[in-house]
Amino acid sequence: MINQIPINLLRLFLLLMLQVLIFSHINFSAFVNPYVFPLFILLLPFETPRWLLMLLGFAAGLALDIFLNSTGMHAAACLLIGYLRPFLISIITPKGTEFEISPNIYAQGLTWFVVYLGVATAIYLGFYFLLEAATFLNFFFLLLKTILSTIISVAFMLIFLYLFSSKKVRRFA
Amino acid sequence: MYNLFRFFLRYHLFILFLSLEVFCFYLSYRTRRYNEAAYSNFANGISGRVFDTYTGITDYLYLRRMSDSLVRENAILRQKLVESKFDNRVDSTGVNDSSGRYVQHFTYITARVIYNSVNHASNLIYLNRGKQQGLTKQMGVFNANGIVGQVISVTDNYAAVMSVLSKDFKVSAKLKKSEFFGNMHWDGINSTTATLEEIPKHVPVKIGDTIVTSGFSELFPRNLMIGTVKSVKTEPDKNFLDLTVNLSTNFGNLSYVYVVKNIRRDELQNLDSLAHKND
Repeated sequence: MINQIPINLLRLFLLLMLQVLIFSHINFSAFVNPYVFPLFILLLPFETPRWLLMLLGFAAGLALDIFLNSTGMHAAACLLIGYLRPFLISIITPKGTEFEISPNIYAQGLTWFVVYLGVATAIYLGFYFLLEAATFLNFFFLLLKTILSTIISVAFMLIFLYLFSSKKVRRFA
Repeated sequence: MYNLFRFFLRYHLFILFLSLEVFCFYLSYRTRRYNEAAYSNFANGISGRVFDTYTGITDYLYLRRMSDSLVRENAILRQKLVESKFDNRVDSTGVNDSSGRYVQHFTYITARVIYNSVNHASNLIYLNRGKQQGLTKQMGVFNANGIVGQVISVTDNYAAVMSVLSKDFKVSAKLKKSEFFGNMHWDGINSTTATLEEIPKHVPVKIGDTIVTSGFSELFPRNLMIGTVKSVKTEPDKNFLDLTVNLSTNFGNLSYVYVVKNIRRDELQNLDSLAHKND
């Protein structure tokens, strides 16, 4: 359990740098803003208490806000998925499943991960874009932006997961 | 009392969630309200340094398209333009006295963009110049193609610029041909267009007409390029035209910019406060 802390700190640092130095520089289109950063909260160990999930999400979001100059908006969105994560996991996981310590793409499988990341990222981005625009006026623009950005973000997240996940896991069928 | 405790115990997670969320909203509200770059100067300094290092590395990828020296030379040349001078004549029909006619009104500081975005609802640009290089809040920023934005916060060596592509950015613009002026702001979606308001309906406007700065605000000298008219719409219930402007600045690949230093700004602001005192 103890060695989870350095791993997650390393992941936080890596994701922060990836997000700030690469993904936020992809000025591809107004409709596509990829965010891989939520992965930090989504990959925290399953046993993390909920208050800690929220506090970590809040702190990590603030760190991202410093670099992207979006005061409080990423913090609010990270906090939201930190709060919702336990609900989401209990909804999409079949009863009686045994868990590894942290979510792992080789243990949970691709389908589980696509659903998990897709729903969480859509919530994150939808909430963030709404806060950023601070209006419902361009609702369909925001909706389309959220959908397209979610698809691209999840694709990048999966690449990240396949690159950096440990293959040494027990498979639970 | 016991029930109150039980309530808190039962909903403590939700209460924690709500209070942190409210705190986040407060932070973003405050930033918006006071129109400042986020956080303290300390945090801006940190991110400025990170972006500076990053640009230092990626510059090699672009093979330094523009060299610093060329840009500096351009700034000196621009300082010599008539638009940058303050017309000191009182009698307009008088004989030109070449020694005292023009006084420097604007000077320009060159800066490199170290961070830039175009996909947000309010886009920020970071520059590698700050207080120590003479930058202050409320200075205009432009490049060779057109206007870029306005400085909103400075640290010792870095500055944050509110891009034209921001909800809160407004600039006084005019039609070059007819001199009619209005307010221009960004519509929030397309990074190549903006909206110009308050041009009266009777003004003849053609697609392709040039829009330049009016020089009414203290941010920019007059006749700086902004863009061209993309489309003209009239609505029966309004007295003004609905103009869409094609911005001439390409915000996707900003590298070097000029920061406008208005030498007579303090005097103008004094005048402004005097004028409002008499209201």
